[in-house]
Amino acid sequence: MEEIKSVSLEMKDYIVSSGAETLSWCMQCGLCTNLCPWRLVPGEVSEAFNIRKMQRLGQLGLEGFEDEEILFACATCGMCQSNCPRKVEIINNVRSMRNTTVGAGFLPAHLRPIAGSIHANGNPWSGEKEKRAEWQEGLDIPAFSEDTEYLLYVCCTSCYDTRSKKIAKSIVSLLKEAGVSFGVLTAEENCCGETIRKLGDEELFQKLAESNIKLFNSKGVKKIITTSPHCLYAFKKDYPDYGGEYEVVHYSEVLSKLMKEGKLTFKGEVGKKVTFHDPCYLGRHNEVYDAPRELIQAIPGVEFVELERNKSKSLCCAGGGGRVWAEVPMGQRFGELRITDAVEKQADVLVTACPYCILMLDDACAGLEKNDVLEVMEMSELLCSASKP
Amino acid sequence: MDKKTGVYICSGCGIGDALDIAALSKVATKESKVPVCKTHAFLCGAEGVAQIKSDIENEGVNTVVIAGCSSRVNYDVFDFGPSVILERANIREQVIWCHPAEDEDTQMMAEDNLRMSLAKAGHIEIPEGYHGENMVKTILVVGGGLTGITAAIEGAKAGYKTVLVEKSPVLGGWMNNLFKQAPLKAPYSDPEEVDIAVRIQEVEANPDVTVYTSAEIKEIAGAPGMFDVKIEQNGQEINERIGSVVLATGAVPYDASKLEHLGYGKYANVITSQAFEELAKNGKIVRPGDGKEVQSIAFLQCAGSRDAEHLPYCSSVCCVESLKQATYLKEQNPEAAIYVFHKDIRTPGQYEKLYKRVQKDGAVFVRGDVTGITEDDDKNLLIEAADVLTGATIGTEGVDLVVLATGMVPTTAFGESLDAKSENEEKEEKPQGDTIIRSNLLNLAYRQGPEMPTLKYGFSDSHFVCFPYETRRTGIYAAGSVRAPMDALSSIEDATGAAMKAIQCIELSELGSAVHPRVGDLSFPSFAMQRCTQCKRCTVECPFGAINEDDKFNPLPNPTRCRRCGICMGACPERIISFKNYSVPMIGNMIKAIEVPEEDEEKPRIVVFACENDAIPCLDMAGINRLSYNAWVRVIPVRCLGSMSLVWIADTLSKGIDGILLLGCKHGDDYQCHFIKGSELAETRLSKVAETLDRLSLESERVRMEQVSIMDYDQIPGILDGFAERLEELGPNPYKGF
Repeated sequence: MEEIKSVSLEMKDYIVSSGAETLSWCMQCGLCTNLCPWRLVPGEVSEAFNIRKMQRLGQLGLEGFEDEEILFACATCGMCQSNCPRKVEIINNVRSMRNTTVGAGFLPAHLRPIAGSIHANGNPWSGEKEKRAEWQEGLDIPAFSEDTEYLLYVCCTSCYDTRSKKIAKSIVSLLKEAGVSFGVLTAEENCCGETIRKLGDEELFQKLAESNIKLFNSKGVKKIITTSPHCLYAFKKDYPDYGGEYEVVHYSEVLSKLMKEGKLTFKGEVGKKVTFHDPCYLGRHNEVYDAPRELIQAIPGVEFVELERNKSKSLCCAGGGGRVWAEVPMGQRFGELRITDAVEKQADVLVTACPYCILMLDDACAGLEKNDVLEVMEMSELLCSASKP
Repeated sequence: MDKKTGVYICSGCGIGDALDIAALSKVATKESKVPVCKTHAFLCGAEGVAQIKSDIENEGVNTVVIAGCSSRVNYDVFDFGPSVILERANIREQVIWCHPAEDEDTQMMAEDNLRMSLAKAGHIEIPEGYHGENMVKTILVVGGGLTGITAAIEGAKAGYKTVLVEKSPVLGGWMNNLFKQAPLKAPYSDPEEVDIAVRIQEVEANPDVTVYTSAEIKEIAGAPGMFDVKIEQNGQEINERIGSVVLATGAVPYDASKLEHLGYGKYANVITSQAFEELAKNGKIVRPGDGKEVQSIAFLQCAGSRDAEHLPYCSSVCCVESLKQATYLKEQNPEAAIYVFHKDIRTPGQYEKLYKRVQKDGAVFVRGDVTGITEDDDKNLLIEAADVLTGATIGTEGVDLVVLATGMVPTTAFGESLDAKSENEEKEEKPQGDTIIRSNLLNLAYRQGPEMPTLKYGFSDSHFVCFPYETRRTGIYAAGSVRAPMDALSSIEDATGAAMKAIQCIELSELGSAVHPRVGDLSFPSFAMQRCTQCKRCTVECPFGAINEDDKFNPLPNPTRCRRCGICMGACPERIISFKNYSVPMIGNMIKAIEVPEEDEEKPRIVVFACENDAIPCLDMAGINRLSYNAWVRVIPVRCLGSMSLVWIADTLSKGIDGILLLGCKHGDDYQCHFIKGSELAETRLSKVAETLDRLSLESERVRMEQVSIMDYDQIPGILDGFAERLEELGPNPYKGF
């Protein structure tokens, strides 16, 4: 006889109390599963992970969702959530379900060093705390003070990763050129905590949030420019619940505004076919679609082309929700599909505006051996290259 | 009436460019010797119409034949009053819009259409409506629940005397049992206080409504406008003269004692939704078994519904009722655990909002079959179910109470079934007769049986696909859950619609006119009784029970029950039934008017008998969409395919016409025939044609029947050309030239 699985309303209530307030709103139509990028790739995770079913297990408090392949598969791209007919906050539900195990101390092996580094160093990249501001050497960036308008908050990735440091430097250069009043507190900052919260470690996230908020408030921070859309999300959507109320913008928003005001112009010609990959956290999560397009199209000589899946329908690079640290075999990476999208449009440059996207797309481009036809660039890098004649 | 015919040919809309109008005129002037024949380039314009009107007034023209657009358009423009006979020959939609211009065959088609119209006009006589004696305009409403009360109020508000008869001592019906009602207004997310008392008060206070409670209908005799109704109340008989009737006797819950597999009768804490309403109405929701306060509950949807062993259908309201009941418990205890086991959650109308609300309240919905219910030592119930959405069998923790959401059974479903077929001598050849169940609701003094025919599952008759308020008993309109499962909102709407239908019937009967779908038709069938052989076909085949029998077994027509479809005319083997403006010889002469070319001309001819209700508009739409088909077809509109007389088939084939196509409505369980059985009867009659054809040494394939709905115009070329191709294979009709 078939095993009878016991419904546990206690478990369900526990998940709901961890933040899955909309879990029971789900009517199980399955649109989420069909829109999920996991449906576009083959492999074990794709076969095991079904977001609709995962939520169903949560609704009934049934065992089965805690398998690592299922529980940690979601890249929190928000494709399902932004299309859900019941407005179920699916990502919150995923986060809460992860919290039921992570909160109890069970984190998958590959994520333990990440959490450990955040605990010890305030960043997930095992970078020494003292070296957080090392990338600024020779750049002459003012420290944030009461007299500066914006705090420039640089993502941990761009503080430590060699490739990613270029992004931070480019952004600084552009902000300076446009005459923005900004300063940094990099050395004293901690990771924004966006991703560790998505991974379900609520406790660690709170610790990070509280320390950052304490720092920002003590320095009188009112406005923040982020280099990463993930930090943007954390400050905008997570921090207010912990007392951190700031005006937060992504660097693309600031630059686009200044460009329109005539304070930033691009004199260098870039005679290339350029396309743009909307990062999930910039697009679907924060609904910034126009700013990067306006900037790219302002560069003389650029032939801009849209990818087939763009703006709110953009395909995830698979770097969110902690997936940036997941080992995924070739042939199962969303990033590869994205590179193929760009190659199909015969673009010379695939531009994006997120350090995670850069990591994922760089990997995919190299993996597919497309570096000879396609260059992956962070938007700030492209803009910088065009800022001088 | 001495006819003076005027033929008016319109050359507008491209007709003049496509056809030789002078040659067409000769059909009227030379062949038919019509005294007046005029052409106009814009006949439906003021000048064209004025010309016709002038001829009527000054030249004595009293029979107008217009060759131009379809009779389905410009009918208001070409209206010359009741004393003028009007016939329209369609040479636009069905000729020049479907066939090449300046073509010999197109011209022949137009000429034949005019010939047929002239033949038809020659037969038409102006009908005079039937006027019964002592006709009244009172509406009888049977059943005093929400539907009946609403119908009575709506009828009275429109100025009609209404008689409301209720079996039980109080009005209100099912609504009286409820603690709260599903919301009737936006935002549709919160149950409302039951408002039936307000409605009862309104109907009782209305001076135009006579209410009889504890009363039943003993007999309804007569016909629309003049029903004689015997009502029994407390042992006394009351007589009322009634114009039309609304049947609103509703439905009752399915008998839960048949649901032992769901624990009913076995476990004290398994109850019906009706019993749960009682519990809620009595105050705190406690278990019937031990009085324990209910903290957790499981609603089992489709308890005996959508189940081949019980009610095979969905009752449409149970989901919403259970959702509503879930809010009762949440109100009492926000922490209460609620399970809803369902096949699908069906929330018609706006009730998705109630579903959302209950979801947001945290109820657990389980889609799948309940596979078992057991009771633990504390009398809590453990439910096992196949959860489709995880693909696993799941088991619940013990719940305090299980509520079975039972479906509804119409009140017309109870009683001995009267098999209409038993009267039918040639069972196998006739279509299945009506099913009538002696449910003791209307007690009609009709030879066809005492109650409304029932649909599948015992619901009262209604033309549910096309005209849900219409029934097979003219002047009797079923409304509310007696005709289909429906909720309060739908019942209110249904009652209003039925009241409107009842009013239309009263007014049209008074005028001597037919009701839907031939509103305005004053003709009615007359019987040349001296030739009647008492074969009973007319009385049996009339879908509306319009024909009773007198005490000598002769058919006794009830003109106000008649819908003027002509099915009796088609049924009569002696051809004794005719209408002033529709008869067997009339169509016979239209067939005769068609010119049939010699065999060596290789111009076959096909007669299409087309139903006026769907097939004709379908053909017109083919024209409007400029679809083209062969020019061999000659279309003869008929009131209903059921009015087709077999003699027309013989007339057509013996004339040398190569094939006959019957174009009628879809029949079967989900029929679209306006007259219910017409197209089905035509098909049955057709099955006998093979015999006739064999006698004439003709292939039975020369007669074909096709079903089309009004939307099937795109299929018209395929149907017509496919038939023409087959006829070409068969070769010409050997009777050509005889």
